[in-house]
Amino acid sequence: MKILVCVKQVLEPEGVIGISASGERIEVGPGALFRMNRYDEFAVEEALRIREKFPGTRIDAVSAGPERAARTVRRALEMGADQGIHIVLGDERCRTPFEIASLIGAYARDRQYDLILAGIMAEDDMQAQVGPMLAEILGYPWATAVMSIRLPHPSGAVQVERELEGGRREAFELTLPALLTVQSGINRPRYPSLSHVLRTRSQALIQIDASQASAAAPFSLPAPREWIVNLEEPAPLKTGMILPGSPPEKAEKLLQILQERALL
Amino acid sequence: MNNEILVIAELSDGRVLPVTYELIAFARALAGDDSAAVYIMAAGREVQALARDLAHETGMDVVALEGDALDHYNAETWMAALTPRIAARKPRYICIPHTSRGCDFAPGLAVRLGAACITAVEDFRRLNGIVSFARSIYNGKIRMHIAPQTDVTVLCVLPGAFKAATEYEGIPDPSPLPGMKQDEYFQDPGSSGHVEVLKNQDRPQKIRTLGLIPAAAQDLDLALADVIVSAGRGIGAGENLEWIRRLAGLFSKSAVGCSRAVCDLGWLDHKHQVGLTGRSVAPKLYIACGISGAVQHIAGMRGSRFIIAINTDPRAAIFQVADAGIVEDLTTFIPLVLEQARDLDYS
Repeated sequence: MKILVCVKQVLEPEGVIGISASGERIEVGPGALFRMNRYDEFAVEEALRIREKFPGTRIDAVSAGPERAARTVRRALEMGADQGIHIVLGDERCRTPFEIASLIGAYARDRQYDLILAGIMAEDDMQAQVGPMLAEILGYPWATAVMSIRLPHPSGAVQVERELEGGRREAFELTLPALLTVQSGINRPRYPSLSHVLRTRSQALIQIDASQASAAAPFSLPAPREWIVNLEEPAPLKTGMILPGSPPEKAEKLLQILQERALL
Repeated sequence: MNNEILVIAELSDGRVLPVTYELIAFARALAGDDSAAVYIMAAGREVQALARDLAHETGMDVVALEGDALDHYNAETWMAALTPRIAARKPRYICIPHTSRGCDFAPGLAVRLGAACITAVEDFRRLNGIVSFARSIYNGKIRMHIAPQTDVTVLCVLPGAFKAATEYEGIPDPSPLPGMKQDEYFQDPGSSGHVEVLKNQDRPQKIRTLGLIPAAAQDLDLALADVIVSAGRGIGAGENLEWIRRLAGLFSKSAVGCSRAVCDLGWLDHKHQVGLTGRSVAPKLYIACGISGAVQHIAGMRGSRFIIAINTDPRAAIFQVADAGIVEDLTTFIPLVLEQARDLDYS
């Protein structure tokens, strides 16, 4: 079977994130760390497990992003994907989920993928939209927040469990071809093996100019349907207090607060 | 331009989930003076009675979308049933709860309607004639104001972000059959909204519903605890959970919680998870250790009475909801606290 995994490169959210002076975009400072969106690692891992069950399965990994995103497509290859596709965006402008879904959709349209996998959302903009939008563009059935995938045969149907609030789940059977976005925790993504890292060093990525991909799209879009008015650091919601002093002084103050509030 | 605002109700077991009332409050505020423009849509196998109740409670028009295939949520059926009805009226905003199900169909619905789509909406703002929607990105470190540039916009509104109007609270039970109701129960029948019943015949072709799977055995510890000490990815290693457990040990009715990341790493079982996809908790004291403060986590613990956050990153979003914040490495700080507590004879 043919599987397409969608991966995104994100700026490490735990690092220092700055806003440009115009307040319209994220400032990428020197030394900024980019890596694969963690949620997408679960999607790659799930694809690898399906291939282990059905040898002969082919896994393509695709990412739409600026030049630097090639590194993340390579990461998918190092994890074990067969082929990497980089839809190259010429600039750093943040694309909306619909634009990205349209670009990937234009690429995937005539390539008969049986299964498309993606992470439930991206760690940076946390929209959780590209997956279901891509499915709708391609006319595939979809399920999001998938915590379990059962694929009895490489064709036919896939049985999934989606995660609901409070730990409940709901089960569906989707006719292939289908698209699934996987919830984190569905598996333990593997680290790239040395042999894969060595193999992929010389492997070329399929590079597609984004303007070319959009010309191939079956609609006049992608024009963005939303625009970022501004970005800002959120104002504190509570009159929170950062305890001052040396570590022992902070510990003492903390215990004092707990005593005062009769919490100890 | 059409100024209607549509709220899509979320139902479970024949009941309207509280998040629906939050959405109604959100839609009313968004409509401003024009709150008559808000209407509600509820989909299910038999939702007429429920729709009438909603119309009475809110005074808003309700569209009841009924059909056998709508018995259980199914992305394909929902899309097929909702899209033509929404496309016919072209509301300016379509408000959907940012829940697991809401997020499942909202983006696809936006594509099919040719609409903009904004998810995890926490608030809105009118500034210089532009209505924009606020949402958190990068684990809550940055707030993004985003505006649609289409006539129709799908919004997924985060549960807990917008308070339900108080008048809707205290109606937790499904009402008896409408025929059994006494007319005087509703003081002002003129204020009740109109109910329109539409039948849906579409049956899903590509997605078959197999059913609901209940949650694994409830861990009552979290629900009953007065104090929850929670661990996030920032604790660094599974071994450091020992410090979390020992800190929890200081308190009499305490439990250990965690963020989703900690479960994903296999450090703790999912029954410990606090947040949108885990448990919602409201203890007297919540101590967040190494938790960045993504909205998904905060949604599950913002009701806590007193919140203490310990994190090495002074810019972590968790400090925005904390009553007291400590910028320290918990592996060195918690031992200090334990030591001092021992001196004070608390342990």
